[in-house]
Amino acid sequence: MKIPVEMRNILYGNYFGYVCTSDRNDQPHLTPVFFVYDEHSQKIFFITNDKSKKIKNITENPNVSITVDIRDPVNPFNNEGVMAQGTATITEKAPIYFLSEETLQLYYDIYMEFKSKYEKVIENKPLGENDVIVQINIEKMVYWRGPHFKSVIFRKDE
Amino acid sequence: MDNTTKKEMKWIYEEIVGRIPPFSLVSYQYSILLQLFFLLVIGLTLGFIFNLKTVSLLYGSLAILVAVSWSLLILQLGPTLRKFRAPLSKDENELLERYKGILFHRNHYEAIPGIAIFIPFMLYLFYFGPDLLENWLGKNPHIILLLFVSLLIWDICYRMGLGIWTSVLALWRSLRLKKIAEKRTELEHTPYTELRSLRRLDINNAFFGIISLLLIPLFKSDNFLITIIFIFMVFITLISVISAYIVSKVPWLPPDIYNLVNESSFAYIGTSLRGITHVTPVVYVFDGQKIFFNTSKEAKKLKTLRKNKKVAFLIDKRDMSNIYENKAVLFTGETKIYGVFDVPLRLINMLSTLHLFIKKYPEYTRKYSTSELPKAWQLTPIISRILVEVKPAKIIYWRGAKQISVPV
Repeated sequence: MKIPVEMRNILYGNYFGYVCTSDRNDQPHLTPVFFVYDEHSQKIFFITNDKSKKIKNITENPNVSITVDIRDPVNPFNNEGVMAQGTATITEKAPIYFLSEETLQLYYDIYMEFKSKYEKVIENKPLGENDVIVQINIEKMVYWRGPHFKSVIFRKDE
Repeated sequence: MDNTTKKEMKWIYEEIVGRIPPFSLVSYQYSILLQLFFLLVIGLTLGFIFNLKTVSLLYGSLAILVAVSWSLLILQLGPTLRKFRAPLSKDENELLERYKGILFHRNHYEAIPGIAIFIPFMLYLFYFGPDLLENWLGKNPHIILLLFVSLLIWDICYRMGLGIWTSVLALWRSLRLKKIAEKRTELEHTPYTELRSLRRLDINNAFFGIISLLLIPLFKSDNFLITIIFIFMVFITLISVISAYIVSKVPWLPPDIYNLVNESSFAYIGTSLRGITHVTPVVYVFDGQKIFFNTSKEAKKLKTLRKNKKVAFLIDKRDMSNIYENKAVLFTGETKIYGVFDVPLRLINMLSTLHLFIKKYPEYTRKYSTSELPKAWQLTPIISRILVEVKPAKIIYWRGAKQISVPV
């Protein structure tokens, strides 16, 4: 199943995502992230430090959600956004010569994608030693525009 | 200097009593109960030996009860202040160190008000008020009885003095703290928990004042002394309530975070139920002390919060042109959902919060009120929009790429 176009447009058109994870005691944690959306695999990717709280949470509980939205402080009818819920996978981290061809390719693609999207802010900064790529496998998406809601559920096997 | 403040933080009487077994062997709460018990036993024994009237025994017991309740309240100062975490502001830290230094000064100035009450009172009692003494002990009391009563009077006067000493100092500290806090920069602040414990100590002192009313039956025939007790009660209670009020107005957020929370329009709220997380934007208001957001009765997050009140609440300032200008603050902790049962006690609070919402989001309020909207969105104040307070236990602040953990 394809992501509806209005949801896709939000994912493409915005720079900040808010990722919510929770630990084994059900205590939620929230951070802003830079992210990219890959249409081909229909996954959301973000890069983070492997010492961060969200990585610790994801290893305890892989269920995550991410919200990307446009906010209008004056008129709530212009608010538009999506929330995606799904499971997160942390890309394996190892010295580069131990990584599989596939993983290397993924690292390369995602990094290039990030570079083109966040050109202005990340410039030529390479991936840090502790940086890992996290991919979100979307299972459910909610979209809102003003007071109107719409939600889509993706089957896991697709 | 460090040595004296790190030391026990005890007043002279407590220091002396603390060295005498069996009081030295038990923690201070038990030591107080033990003192009560000892005094009662001695008093009652003397009463029986010298054949006192029952009413005398009752008077004595009442005086002991007052002295011990006062001790229980006032002796929380030492342990609370000993646990006090240093404020993250040089000036505020200095102020608190000075406050502790004077409060528990090694010259024991705290005994001065007690002595200043004790001496005139004894003079008054023996020269001008023999009726009172007769009323307590009967005619021509034995010298041992007089000594025991003097000890009790000293116990009472000493603690009255401590009440004056601690409440006046507390008011001075609160006024200074409020003033210094206005000059904070960046991340300087005194953690919330510590402000709360200062406030609790002040409220203890207010009760201290009220308890003095229990002494009135002892002076039933003497209007002059009753007036004094009354003035003492009003003085202590009023000063302590004012001090507690001032402390509650000291911002518990450092200015950088305070301004971010105050100026930003949106927040994101993360909830989790059995591991499944949920994150959505919300509108919120900040009254300088508390953070509230407001949500529809039908919202998923509300249903989740009713089952798991833990929350992550993020407020940020985003700026794509300069990454170092990005700021965000994350509060993690719990929520309190306001319901019908809160109306009687917190109506004013709820209405003023609602007013803040109307002021901050005028257009929202207007648009939410129209009936063309889906039911979940209609803003019929208090009834269909639910007010939720965020109670943070932990604060994380990001500035540029730097992450700072801020003590609460």
